[in-house]
Amino acid sequence: MIEPAPRSDNSLLVHGYLDGELDPAHALELERAIAADPALAAERDSTQALSSLIRDRLAGERAPAGLRSRIESTVGLRRAPPRPSWGMLAAASVLVAVMASGTTWLTSRPPPQTDVAEMIVADHLRALMAPQPADVSSTDRHTVKPWFNGRVPQAPKVVDLTREGFPLIGGRVDVIGRVPVPTLVYRHNQHLISLTAVPATDVNAPARQTIAGFNVLEWSDNGVRYWAVSDLGASDLDGFAKAFRAAEPDG
Amino acid sequence: MPFWRGAQNDARCVISDKDRFRTVVLPHLDDCYRLARWLTGNRADAEDVVQEACLDAFRGITGFNGSHPRAWVLTIVRHAAYRWLRKNRPAALVVVDDLEALSVSGAQIADSAATPEAALIAQADTARLEQAIAALPVPFRETLVLRDVNGLDYRDIADVTGVPIGTVMSRLARARRRLITTLRPNDP
Repeated sequence: MIEPAPRSDNSLLVHGYLDGELDPAHALELERAIAADPALAAERDSTQALSSLIRDRLAGERAPAGLRSRIESTVGLRRAPPRPSWGMLAAASVLVAVMASGTTWLTSRPPPQTDVAEMIVADHLRALMAPQPADVSSTDRHTVKPWFNGRVPQAPKVVDLTREGFPLIGGRVDVIGRVPVPTLVYRHNQHLISLTAVPATDVNAPARQTIAGFNVLEWSDNGVRYWAVSDLGASDLDGFAKAFRAAEPDG
Repeated sequence: MPFWRGAQNDARCVISDKDRFRTVVLPHLDDCYRLARWLTGNRADAEDVVQEACLDAFRGITGFNGSHPRAWVLTIVRHAAYRWLRKNRPAALVVVDDLEALSVSGAQIADSAATPEAALIAQADTARLEQAIAALPVPFRETLVLRDVNGLDYRDIADVTGVPIGTVMSRLARARRRLITTLRPNDP
């Protein structure tokens, strides 16, 4: 977070504000300053327009496919199976076997939350390596939500967050232990967010952790525990959780 | 013990360097390419830089502590890009224009409150935008790219570029003001 600054630095803080780097108190203070100062408001608007212009036009460029395969052969990965590695699969199946040995653990005896979080991160990692991060790719929540029917016991809340900067990409079914769970995939700029919804009776306070460099945010709403995983910065992921929780499911 | 945390303790040999490279470096290849493309200024050289950086990352993967893999990989790409710049564009690293003059001109942006400047910027030509970014001095360009193209937060940008967070913010502010000034339709 940015340290408080003298008033004259407000025009600098506009940038920290737009980038989600100010703590709530300073953000509020700056919003008041912007409301009182048209020059600040203009800087905010121009900067916002510039940042989204850069994101829209330039942030989507991908590494050429040839570069990826050259690098893979340089470090000796080329002959390995394209996705997920056998090592990971084997390790994951060991995990699954261990977790599954105490049947229906997910509802009857929740394991330590970090274990679930780690499996959810593993699912996110596998999705990143797969050709498609979602099994159903659609930006229309009326397509994504029905797709879950029959695949998981309970279709998750699906909301469109395009206006908030988190367009829906689609959904997939992940497996935690032996339980199929719905995962929604959102995008923020070029970063994917996996949002897994697990029915849960107990309510936990929102919690944040970092696993293998991914930010993991966990919260409960209406009998469902949510896990958001992404390589987004913590503040951007917080913004996503805030937008998701605020959105009406059928508005 | 989760399988990818092996290297954090004695279980180091359980997972190979190749597996670690696959999970730590490869997911960020697009980000690496984008940063290299804007630091070198062209796509062909960016590929060379990324390839070299990946080899460095592979050699150094056992030393990676497991947190912030994207920042770690981008730091290596940045080093490789700077090596390339020193060899091929030494002048680019001599910063004569530090955009200092622009630090006071923030308010000037808003002089013409009647012009919907934001709307004009939103319609700016892509080629013009690319030229304007390419013309930024390297320290400002890399900060802007890491934030607006790569989407890193200030903490990670500070780690990658080795400057305090406050410097990240002021470089961003100046880089963006310069771009806004450049993209603004010619003033009367």
